[in-house]
Amino acid sequence: MGKFMKLRKVMLVLTRRYSRHKAVIVKNTDDGTSDHPYSHALVAGIDCYSPKVTAAMGKKKIAKRSKIKSFVKVYNYNHLMPTRYSVDIPLDKTVVKKDMFRDPALKHKVLQEAKCKFEERYKTGKNKCFFQKLRF
Amino acid sequence: MVTEKKMKKSLELINSKHQLVMKSGKYVLGYKQTLKMITQDKAKLVILTNNCSALRKSEIEYHAVLAKTGVHHYKGNNIKLSTACRKYYRVCTLSIIDPGDSDIIRSIPEQTGEK
Repeated sequence: MGKFMKLRKVMLVLTRRYSRHKAVIVKNTDDGTSDHPYSHALVAGIDCYSPKVTAAMGKKKIAKRSKIKSFVKVYNYNHLMPTRYSVDIPLDKTVVKKDMFRDPALKHKVLQEAKCKFEERYKTGKNKCFFQKLRF
Repeated sequence: MVTEKKMKKSLELINSKHQLVMKSGKYVLGYKQTLKMITQDKAKLVILTNNCSALRKSEIEYHAVLAKTGVHHYKGNNIKLSTACRKYYRVCTLSIIDPGDSDIIRSIPEQTGEK
């Protein structure tokens, strides 16, 4: 028996706007809290995937095309599909917290942090499956 | 002919084990609850019928692989499984949380290993 709803696991979002987008669990709560009385997870995911980059493109073009837009959201476990992949991206815990949703400035900061970290990891070429769109 | 007989016999065995779990153990019936139990790491064994829809079957199998929970493919349809559980409604998916007095969790891997 293993618990798989863990930190750093890659999840597929199933509902609403970010459906079919991949996200990483930042913090999971198996029992509910007062404002979310169900098992939920705070996830950071990719809003806009970066377009394809080929060898024939120049440096400027590659830099332009390597941008990733991120999102951070709290989801019920029912609305997430777990995968067997995990991504070891060190998102700053002190910044990415649940109370970021109340303050827009804080939220912007968190999104920037997620974006930077994701872009960094994307450029190294690791965890390719996380940065690729799910095609079906 | 021989294999058919063997299958029937093993099905009866499994049915009797099911009934024991229903009486003495804890279980959940149904796709939604099974998935919840697998995610919460409470399910010890998951049972799927042969007419469970393929998408649902693969989803549950995937979750079970992640949670390292056993999955048993019951050789019968949802009506047969519900009869084995003594319920008057159809059951496609069931998960055993606590086997009670039954040894279903230990014996099922052996039986599937035989085949």
